[in-house]
Amino acid sequence: MRDPIRNRLSLVAALLILFCLGAGAQAPEEPQYGGTLDIGTVTVTLSALSWDPTDWNWKLNHDTGMFYEQLFAADLEKSVRKGGKYIFRSEAYLPDDALRGELAESWEWETPLTLVIHLRRGIRFPDKPGVMKSRELDAEDVVFSYYRLDASPKKISTYFDHIAKVEARDKHTVVFEFSEFNVEWAYRFGYGYYSAIVPREMADVDAKNWRNAVGTGPFQLTDFIQGHSQTYQRNPAYWDREKLGGQQYEIPFVDEINYRTIKDEATFLTALRTGKLDILEAIRWIAVDHLKETTPELKWVRSLSSVGNFMALRTDQKPFDDVRVRRAINLAVNQREIADLFYGGHAELFAYPMHPDFTGYFEPLESMPASVQELFGYDPAKAKRLLVEAGYPDGFTVKAQVCSCSPSNMDLIPLIDDYLSKIGVHLEIDPMEHAAYLSTMTSKTHAPAYLMNSGHVNPTTSLRKSFTTGQQWNPSIFSDPDVDRQVAEFHRTRSEILRQRMIKDLTVEMLDRAPYLWLPIQYSYTAWWPWVKNYNGELRAGAVRPGPIYARMWIDHKLKKELGF
Amino acid sequence: MQAYIIRRLLALIPTLIFASVIVFFSIRLIPGDVIDLMLSQNDISTGQDRANIEAALGLDRPVIVQYFRWVGSAMMGDFGNSLWQNTPVSEQLLARMPISFELGLLALIVALSVALPIGVYSAMRQDSLGDYITRSFSLLMLAIPSFWLGTLVMVFPSVWWRWSPALEYTPFLEDPIKNLSHMIVPATLLGLSMSAVTMRMTRTMMLEVMRQDYIRTARAKGVGEVLLVVRHALRNGLIPVVTLIGLQAPVLIGGAVIMEQIFVVPGMGLLLLEAVSSRDYPVVSGVFLVVGVGVLLINLAVDLSYGLLDPKVRHQ
Amino acid sequence: MTSETVVTTMELPRKRRGPVVELLSRLIRTKPLGAAGGLIFLVFLLAGIFADLLAPFGMNDTNLVHRLEPPSLAFLLGTDHLGRDVLSRVLIGGQISMIVSFCAAGLATFISILLGVVSGYFGGRIDMLIQRMVDAWMIFPGLVLLIVVISIVGPGLVQIIVILGLLYGIAGSRIVRGSVITIREQMYTHAAQSIGARTPRILWRHILPNVMPVVIVLFSTRVGAVILAEAGLSFLGLGVPPPAPTWGSMLSGTGRTYMYLGPWLALAPGLCLTIVVYAINVFGDALRDLLDPRMRGSR
Repeated sequence: MRDPIRNRLSLVAALLILFCLGAGAQAPEEPQYGGTLDIGTVTVTLSALSWDPTDWNWKLNHDTGMFYEQLFAADLEKSVRKGGKYIFRSEAYLPDDALRGELAESWEWETPLTLVIHLRRGIRFPDKPGVMKSRELDAEDVVFSYYRLDASPKKISTYFDHIAKVEARDKHTVVFEFSEFNVEWAYRFGYGYYSAIVPREMADVDAKNWRNAVGTGPFQLTDFIQGHSQTYQRNPAYWDREKLGGQQYEIPFVDEINYRTIKDEATFLTALRTGKLDILEAIRWIAVDHLKETTPELKWVRSLSSVGNFMALRTDQKPFDDVRVRRAINLAVNQREIADLFYGGHAELFAYPMHPDFTGYFEPLESMPASVQELFGYDPAKAKRLLVEAGYPDGFTVKAQVCSCSPSNMDLIPLIDDYLSKIGVHLEIDPMEHAAYLSTMTSKTHAPAYLMNSGHVNPTTSLRKSFTTGQQWNPSIFSDPDVDRQVAEFHRTRSEILRQRMIKDLTVEMLDRAPYLWLPIQYSYTAWWPWVKNYNGELRAGAVRPGPIYARMWIDHKLKKELGF
Repeated sequence: MQAYIIRRLLALIPTLIFASVIVFFSIRLIPGDVIDLMLSQNDISTGQDRANIEAALGLDRPVIVQYFRWVGSAMMGDFGNSLWQNTPVSEQLLARMPISFELGLLALIVALSVALPIGVYSAMRQDSLGDYITRSFSLLMLAIPSFWLGTLVMVFPSVWWRWSPALEYTPFLEDPIKNLSHMIVPATLLGLSMSAVTMRMTRTMMLEVMRQDYIRTARAKGVGEVLLVVRHALRNGLIPVVTLIGLQAPVLIGGAVIMEQIFVVPGMGLLLLEAVSSRDYPVVSGVFLVVGVGVLLINLAVDLSYGLLDPKVRHQ
Repeated sequence: MTSETVVTTMELPRKRRGPVVELLSRLIRTKPLGAAGGLIFLVFLLAGIFADLLAPFGMNDTNLVHRLEPPSLAFLLGTDHLGRDVLSRVLIGGQISMIVSFCAAGLATFISILLGVVSGYFGGRIDMLIQRMVDAWMIFPGLVLLIVVISIVGPGLVQIIVILGLLYGIAGSRIVRGSVITIREQMYTHAAQSIGARTPRILWRHILPNVMPVVIVLFSTRVGAVILAEAGLSFLGLGVPPPAPTWGSMLSGTGRTYMYLGPWLALAPGLCLTIVVYAINVFGDALRDLLDPRMRGSR
């Protein structure tokens, strides 16, 4: 049974190679319309949690970004696939030159604190029975969307503090009056998690109900089965065009995008292998080799995860209030060994809180001071000495919480426990169900050791949310007025060169003060079937927002048939 | 009989009261409440933020008041709206129940078609090799954890032959073939794991029957044993059937969480799991209550049917 | 999760030597499969009891250099993703699984007897109240109930034992109650009452000994059911916390994750679990045939 298939497959593969060689010599392929793409997204195990932007939910953009557009989005013409330098896999960071106006056609600073945005003309909301008649998007929609977000009780309380007011100057011009400059302005209400532009009609309908969702984007939501699937259909009146081989094409190319929710890892890997998923966006390294072997047709791209991995050590409590103890923990764990052996080399030693993709902000470990490099090394003898100095000659036992939802962390924690036991530190492991786990952190009642993942977001947010006083996602309860001051300062700094310097300095300082046990960051893999075209594993065209990427993919129906699907 | 049914129905009331209390309060005891989750992205949340959201969701009133409001409207068939999606819970229940029910029903069919023949055979040939082999098959299906069997069935055919069952739900009425090609595998696995209980019950019953005097008499008279047993099995066959239905009622209505998870069946179990993890109280309470009432009614029907099937059973 | 299962020789009343020996010899003579099941179970039980002596390594002795090594002379069953010896973990996991199943099944049996005897013997309002609560408890799917309760109390060896004990104990009380009622109605109980014997004496001397066969079979059904339930909980991430191994968590956790890179990781715990549950089941069925042929399969 196996061999004939293998043979057929290798024949197909050989044909494919010939085909690709031929294609390279010819003009780019003519895109094809139609078809459905089934996608196992980055959050394949999670359904949409909310459809209403005023819920301020982190995942919302991923699900609504298909139909709600924003002022800015990624300039996908700058992707590696098109000869640019960006892979667009970062969770929520777009460097200035990777940014384009989406609903915004152009923008300028009238005064240092007055931003004027000119909207594109002729962008229309489609008809939605019971919600609205088709009409053109205008400046009032932008103003409405802003104030609607601003008024939500779930709002991040300081999020829009830099904005004094937002006004419509005319039908296609929006004016943002700033009360102070904030370097994240384009992220916060432009391409970020909380930047969706909804129609004014949302004021009169139940915006939480998915049946009422309607936006200007490339797709419209047509079905939602919680915990199973979200179906988006092509918006035939979508305004944007894709340039391919000097030609302009109407998009989206495909008729339907289907987000599949599959809870079980074995199942979603099988679904990819049997072509029931066209794309699987997040694959753990463990499965990669086997998938490549059994399904050689798949195309792959990998990138360092845009989520950090660390064990937070509560600096407000004994024993981790002493920096020597925290450093000892770092010295006692062999991160190199974890990266090379536990992750089988599919990981890098240092990539958090700064991501290597944050060009200009990231400094490699090798050029950091020795005291930082030491933390990523392995020196249990020194760790033991530090513990003795700190007054723990016999070590101690401490509670460590971990989310049972993370297979990777559940695998990692016994390993950390065993490393630490060699310097007399013992972990009392407490695996928790996700919601309970999360709420111990947000209510700051979590254990002294807390193994977790946290997104980089972008260079400024990464440091602000993790290490400034009172922040929700500051699991080591780190608090130092000097750090708070530095963070506030770089948020106000307009010069990028200066800002990069400040952020690099603070990153070094924070690494050195070891509020976390720093752990290696693994590579994350994306695989897709070769019939998915005009795609190279891009994940986000904004903050967790893949909509514009999916709008540009097309299916090579003939190739799909040739491969037997 | 009528008086008996009425008495039984009245007895459901205290049970339902206990059940509704368990349901309503237990979900609220789980650490990490819905407000914590809703505010989890909030950089710096304040007490005011909390109070505002609680008020918007109606969670600011005393829990006792909330309980009575919930019971009041639940009796009218209104289970409230999902805290996250704002869609009526009853709508979700109506969408999910047929799916779990179909899975459960198919599993029952599989279970019975394995259990009854094996049960009868192993009783007739007690302690023979055939008895041991058939019984072992049924017991092995019970002894292998369902998640493991499910995983093997999911993974290996896909590696060897690039085959897997359909992994997307299609309503039966829309496309029966597609629907069955998805449901049949989890239903078979579920049915096999259920079969041991019924097999054992059938077997015990047959053993008992075969010791009865009239069978011995008949045998002495030379009536064919097989004929006798088959006739008897047919007459008594319905008892294990209804007992199995009673036992599996929670699965029939409440869904089989693990199978639903592995085989991507959007049934009640998965809905409940999602609702528990997002602390969607009205959904959790609604699912539990509907499952509870359904199970009670099925059990009542099962008890009543014993009386019809077997005149020896008297309802005290 | 409503799996029916079986018994063990360990729990037979020891004082009455004669009947036990007689039962065993009948078992071996007439029920070879059941006897084999009992023997297999005994072997696993002994391995569990002496796991600490038998295990060549500690359960959490990690060594990344030796990770994911297939079975060899140094590591008879290979090593896992952290370089831990699988044999040692299977042995210690067996011990933990046995502890969980025996304690939870024991607790369940105790609760079943308590509720069943009180409810069945006294009847009336007490019976009514207890039975309605039992009804309320039993209408929920077992696994779902476990998920909610474990989310509340947190996972842990003791919590799991108590919860599984409660779950199966309450469910089983029905069966005990049923046979208590039958026994109560029988003549000799009436006779004892009329002579003026006090209630505790009647319960102890007349009721309890007569429900013992039911209880023994009930206990046996629970041992296997608990092992499977713990595995189900592990699958949902709510089992016994790491680094402690159980067969269920080894199979559902690393066994599944690393099934491509190290198939042996799943093989050993999976086989142990299946064999043990199967063995107790055939053993229990045999005991049931011998002790109480009329007992019908029930929760």
